[in-house]
Amino acid sequence: MKKSTLLSLLVVSSVFADAKLDLLQKQLNKQQMQIYALETKNTNQSASFSQNAYLPAIALILNMSAVARDVNNTAYEDLSIPGFIDYNPTNKNSKAELPFNKSRGFNLNYAEVAMHSAVDPYFDAFAIFHLHPHEFEIEEAYVQTRSLPYALRIKAGKFKSNFGRMNFKHQHSWHFDAQPIIYKALFGPDAISDAGIQLQWIAPTDTYIMTGIEALQGTNERSFGDKEINNLYVSYLKSSIDIGEDLSILGGISLAHGKNLTTHTTDVYGVDLTMREQLGAYSSLIWQSEYLQRNKKIDETTNKQGGFYTELIYRINRNYYCGVHYDAITKNDIDLQRYSANHINTDNLNRYLVKIDYKPFSMSRLRLSYSYDRTKVIAGERKNINTVMLSLNIAAGAHGAHNY
Amino acid sequence: MKKTILLTVLLATVIFAQVNVDATYSTLGAIAKKIGGDNVKVTILGSSKYDPHFIVPKPSLLSKLRRADLLIINGAGLELGWLPPLLRNANNPKIRNGANGLLDISHFVPMIDVPATVSRAFGDVHSQGNPHYTTDPHIVLIIARAIEKRLIEIDLDNAKAYQTNLINFTKKWQKYLKKYDADMQMCKTKKVVQYHQLFNYFLERYNIKSYGTIEPLPGISPSSKHTIWLINTIKDEKVKVILQDIYHEKRTAHFIADKTGARVALIPHDLGSLKDTGTLESFYNTIKEHLCR
Repeated sequence: MKKSTLLSLLVVSSVFADAKLDLLQKQLNKQQMQIYALETKNTNQSASFSQNAYLPAIALILNMSAVARDVNNTAYEDLSIPGFIDYNPTNKNSKAELPFNKSRGFNLNYAEVAMHSAVDPYFDAFAIFHLHPHEFEIEEAYVQTRSLPYALRIKAGKFKSNFGRMNFKHQHSWHFDAQPIIYKALFGPDAISDAGIQLQWIAPTDTYIMTGIEALQGTNERSFGDKEINNLYVSYLKSSIDIGEDLSILGGISLAHGKNLTTHTTDVYGVDLTMREQLGAYSSLIWQSEYLQRNKKIDETTNKQGGFYTELIYRINRNYYCGVHYDAITKNDIDLQRYSANHINTDNLNRYLVKIDYKPFSMSRLRLSYSYDRTKVIAGERKNINTVMLSLNIAAGAHGAHNY
Repeated sequence: MKKTILLTVLLATVIFAQVNVDATYSTLGAIAKKIGGDNVKVTILGSSKYDPHFIVPKPSLLSKLRRADLLIINGAGLELGWLPPLLRNANNPKIRNGANGLLDISHFVPMIDVPATVSRAFGDVHSQGNPHYTTDPHIVLIIARAIEKRLIEIDLDNAKAYQTNLINFTKKWQKYLKKYDADMQMCKTKKVVQYHQLFNYFLERYNIKSYGTIEPLPGISPSSKHTIWLINTIKDEKVKVILQDIYHEKRTAHFIADKTGARVALIPHDLGSLKDTGTLESFYNTIKEHLCR
């Protein structure tokens, strides 16, 4: 009897002990799970294989305008700038390229998509796509080195040349919506923009001195265009000094040497000078001028043509800018008989521009401008063109700062 | 003869080789000078006279960046509007993003005003938080430590000097802060409005409440509707002081002052932006004096 009581007691206690152990085991498991959860709290929670963090910076730029002009659209498309753009009804290729603000009425000039990203420790990549209403254009697409020694940098791909002052700038960053006449006349709207390679170097001096050389395909048929081999070489030297804290001066000389459609040599020389005086936190005065001359050899004659522009921009305050701009063709030693035979005067080719910008924020700009253009021949007559334009430019997304 | 000249020049450059330190703003530069001492040559890139968001990217800055061994930036987006193209064009791999020679101080500072969502529809909001931390004198020590660590990494030979400089500077600055904090305890100004959210770090440190900004949104010029709202707020909350920085227009602040009886206090945002604010001590003293007067 005693024995059986003892046994049953033992059995009971062992059963109870087992139950207690189970409970402890459960509690331990739970705590271990909690510890694990805490340990892994700060670990990677992203989707496996996600690369979203490496997406390039992307910006969207829209440029549009409303234009009033005293020339109808069909006539305007057939314009000439004597000696530079000579429209010939029998030759479709002689038409001027007019990608910006061509039409009286409304224009959507482009939607620009700009992307940039570091590729790896050695390269940065940039791409700027211009989407015109009926055209896709790779404006620029290039890689640039990040880590070359001795302040050297190589750029390769399709890019805007650093020739002169204006050449590398995109239309939306120009002080005026219209391209300087001399650039338009010598190179067309894209200026010198080509596939090629560029090497730049900055001198280790207190004064800014930068020099660069570029080898380019030379597809710009206005000045170059020899199709048999890459034909264009560009070099430049730029320097800048500061006078006091607020006045900065940038000057440059440039040379573009290539072969034109007749396989003879074209040389373009450029000099530029920019002065910028900071008048206050949001007020400044910029005076920018540039002279370009082209010596283009065709058969036995070398045609020498040149011109300049000069512009003065006054930033009044945080939101308002105003500016004036003057263009002139100063040298036009080329056969202009087709004009003189028809009694068309080709002297004094020049243009005046004035503008007011309103920038409610750094990403948007409304611009009202007036242009009096005395460089055009339209429908067999010298025609002085008046244009009033209201343009809107916006930059949305990761649009970086602009250069000086 | 020629050889000896060349040799002495070479020798001289080797002996007096200083670390070229560029700082985007003057307060950072002044702290770098305290830690670097004679072993560094400090160059300030952005003038403290102007808006730190929009420094003019003068080409002369390129030649300064080209020779820098260390570039100290404020970070948190303050340099976004001017520095990136300069950095790309300076062709200096030492200070490229990701290199040891680029020191972003905002990575060491506990950020305030970090927005939950960002859109440019809210104006020029920085996604990383408020970048204007240098107005808080307590953050000077965080900056000093970050600079010391990086200088040692870059210039190991002079590690001892940098360590000693940091210890000495820290002692001096802690003493200065003790007195500064005691003075601020006495400061009667407890409610302010400001032009831009420039002084939030300072205000938060000393429990001063900011009731609004003159600009309706960061980076947007004042509007009459918003100004009327601000005038009413100042009246309702009995705000006595309008904090005006040196680079924004001052007309709106004076207009509001006329309507409300509040006082316009001109506060420096960076070392040297007002007369006699050329040292760290005088810079922070001026903030205190102009605010509390």
